[in-house]
Amino acid sequence: MGNSNAEIAASGRVSAPDLRGGAPQLTRLQKIGNSRHLGLYLMAPAFLFVVLFFVAPVLLTGVFGFTNMSTATGISGGAYLANQSSMRALRDKHDFGELADQINRVVFTIDEAGLEAAAQAGASAATLKELNAKFFGQSFGKRRDVERAIKTLDNRPSSTRAIKAISKHFERSVFNIRFDSADDLLAALNKFGISLDPQQQAAVIDVTYTGWVFTTDNFKRMISLPDTRTTLYNTLFYVFTTLILFNVGFALVLAISTHYMDAAPAGFFRSVWLLPRITPPVLYVLMWKWLAWDTGFISAVLGPFGIAPKNWMLDSPTNAWTFIILINGMVGASMGMLIFASAIKAIPTSLFYASEVDGATRAQQIRHIILPQLRFPILFITSYQTLSLLTSFEFILLATEGGPGGSTEVWALSTYFKALNNYAGSLEYGYGAALALVLVVVGVAMSILYLKLFDFKTLTAPPKIE
Amino acid sequence: MRILLDNFTKKFGTLTVIDQMDLEIHSGEMIALLGGSGCGKSTTLFSICGIHKINGGRILFGDKDVTNITSQERNVGVVFQSFALYPHMTVEQNIGFPLKLRKESASEVKRKVDEIAEMVHIEALIHRRPGELSGGQQQRVALARALVRRPDVLLLDEPLANLDATLRLEMRSEIRRIQQETGITAVLVTHDQVEAMSMCDRIAIMDAGKIVQISEPREMYNNPVSDFVAGFLGSPPIAFLQGRITDGIFVEPSTGTKMPVNADIAKRANGGEVRVGIRPEFFQPGAGAAIKGRVSFIESQGRETLYNVTLPDGNILRSIQGSQSSARIGDEVEWGVDSSQMLVFGRDGMRL
Ligand SMILES: Nc1ncnc2c1ncn2[C@@H]1O[C@H](COP(=O)(O)OP(=O)(O)OP(=O)(O)O)[C@@H](O)[C@H]1O
Ligand SMILES: [Mg+2]
Repeated sequence: MGNSNAEIAASGRVSAPDLRGGAPQLTRLQKIGNSRHLGLYLMAPAFLFVVLFFVAPVLLTGVFGFTNMSTATGISGGAYLANQSSMRALRDKHDFGELADQINRVVFTIDEAGLEAAAQAGASAATLKELNAKFFGQSFGKRRDVERAIKTLDNRPSSTRAIKAISKHFERSVFNIRFDSADDLLAALNKFGISLDPQQQAAVIDVTYTGWVFTTDNFKRMISLPDTRTTLYNTLFYVFTTLILFNVGFALVLAISTHYMDAAPAGFFRSVWLLPRITPPVLYVLMWKWLAWDTGFISAVLGPFGIAPKNWMLDSPTNAWTFIILINGMVGASMGMLIFASAIKAIPTSLFYASEVDGATRAQQIRHIILPQLRFPILFITSYQTLSLLTSFEFILLATEGGPGGSTEVWALSTYFKALNNYAGSLEYGYGAALALVLVVVGVAMSILYLKLFDFKTLTAPPKIE
Repeated sequence: MRILLDNFTKKFGTLTVIDQMDLEIHSGEMIALLGGSGCGKSTTLFSICGIHKINGGRILFGDKDVTNITSQERNVGVVFQSFALYPHMTVEQNIGFPLKLRKESASEVKRKVDEIAEMVHIEALIHRRPGELSGGQQQRVALARALVRRPDVLLLDEPLANLDATLRLEMRSEIRRIQQETGITAVLVTHDQVEAMSMCDRIAIMDAGKIVQISEPREMYNNPVSDFVAGFLGSPPIAFLQGRITDGIFVEPSTGTKMPVNADIAKRANGGEVRVGIRPEFFQPGAGAAIKGRVSFIESQGRETLYNVTLPDGNILRSIQGSQSSARIGDEVEWGVDSSQMLVFGRDGMRL
């Protein structure tokens, strides 16, 4: 290798005088060719994609998980807004009920703006002038108080209606007004006669800010909400039931039973069990739904026996789970089946012959020859499918949407609902990301564990072929 | 226990591998199934142990018809060519497996395993896995596993094929010793005539799914029924010449050498085309009918030397001589054929 490079370099130097401009190009080429980092150059695009589509989303999930982003906060900055909910928060969270009432209350202030607005509206100049002179800068807590003040004026309007019309222009409130900065809001409050100590200021700023902030509330909320526990139990139930019954259990049954069949029927059965996997998911679930609809297959078949038609899938949580596990299991079993079948095929025929003459029945053969040889594939399928079941929710979404009544809502689906799609239309990106983050952490931890496990196993595995 | 194959036929699909074979194996005897690759040796063996279901005829163990009995119930021990040890079990578990399947008590299993391990000299390896054993050690484990439950019949499918030359020699006598110690009826499948001749009481030589001859080794060597059998036994192999017998004399066509044959053969083959077989030990300097040729190949085998002598028409005679001989390649020699020891075959290849 070194030799041939030297030769190329030498020929490059020789030809340099002949081909003008050829030499530098050649050297650059050589540099790449010689480089031990060539592999890295070639890997760069793949690396970029990994960063863009894997690392970045995971990092963003990590960041978002510690914010309170939602439809309400938006994902850019926010404003300061005193409204019903922020005042409720002021009362509940910071225990400043009185302050909240105060901010909520409408005040009437005789000020420049009010006078001007009243003049515009056609109030008599004399009235306004006297009002200015006697009451400028004063605030009134109630409309009646302002009106009473106006009535005391010498140049007061003759009709009550006119008095009411003037008083309207001095109505002042921060309520439902968006302020771009906290200072503006505080200044406005101050102007309306509400002055705050620093603690109150902080509380008001906290509750009135409509943008997102960094917070660990998501996790506190996650722990405290009873929904979380339900979702967790749902997830564990879903993952392990599907895994044990189908992805591993049924896959083993298929692989072992086809092993004892003749080649042709065995191939046929394996192909049949591959069908669900290669059917487009939406179509596949649609067929299950059709099976379960109140005008579907099950209802149609049971109708003549006097059983009322109903939606069998969404009828009860038990039914919903049955369908969910069947739907996922039928697809999930095929991968295990393929892996187990090929692992069984790799067992030398002579081992089966030997065990036969040693007196092993079929059951003993499975127990003592096949299963021990499948230890590694079973471990592999278990770990791979645990991860994939943990994160996949598309069949549940398509089939039951987590229903009935959230009884089939698993962690990944609940994340999706919280962050990306729900009926109320108020999306909690932050909380959703926090939920997703839990999945990411569990997934990464399990991956590392499995990788360790596999490495160890492959190193210490007994040789498969004698 | 006596084994009887009665009119036994085995087919794979449309391919008839064994066609109406009759074979009786005496109780306590070790018999070799000898033949070329693909002649049906393993098929016969697998049919005896029940791994293959047969398509016709009967198989008897003693007087019991086992044709329709599963291999699990036939009580045969088999040593496979690849040994077929269970890779996930230790040597102890491998050997004890047949006993464990019979639900014998752990202590009983232990006792029997220890006993048999001692017999095949692997006591020290009992806790290892097959992957940690040499070929010869695996061989012994396979043998121990086959013997541990005292089978009625021991079947060995090319048990030495995977071993190196020295080990093969050692295991040959080892297997024979154990077979004689246990007095078990044994069938050895092999394509190595030396193995068959040195280990077995009798040899059944097979060709294309048929048994061509069954005899004791020496008898088969001296009196082969056909040129196929004659060609199969003997190392270096027998040499054949083509020619005619007239008036009790075989004339080698290219040199005109006259070799008298005995009267009985002469009568049967008179005027006919024949094939004569001359074993290397009967083509020696200074004896019998002298025939001229050129030394074309010399192979020293240590104590003895093998010479190929090419006749003018290109036929080759082989001679094996003590190391005192001094012929060299290219030398013209005139050595003699002991024509009384010549094996004469008719045009169909059968012995005359
Ligand atoms: N399971 C099978 N299916 C189809 N044909 C088979 C099968 N087993 C063996 N045969 C065929 O039967 C014939 C005999 O095979 P067998 O294994 O008995 O040969 P063998 O004498 O043991 O040869 P070798 O010395 O190479 O082991 C061969 O032509 C082989 O191709
Ligand atoms: Mg064979």
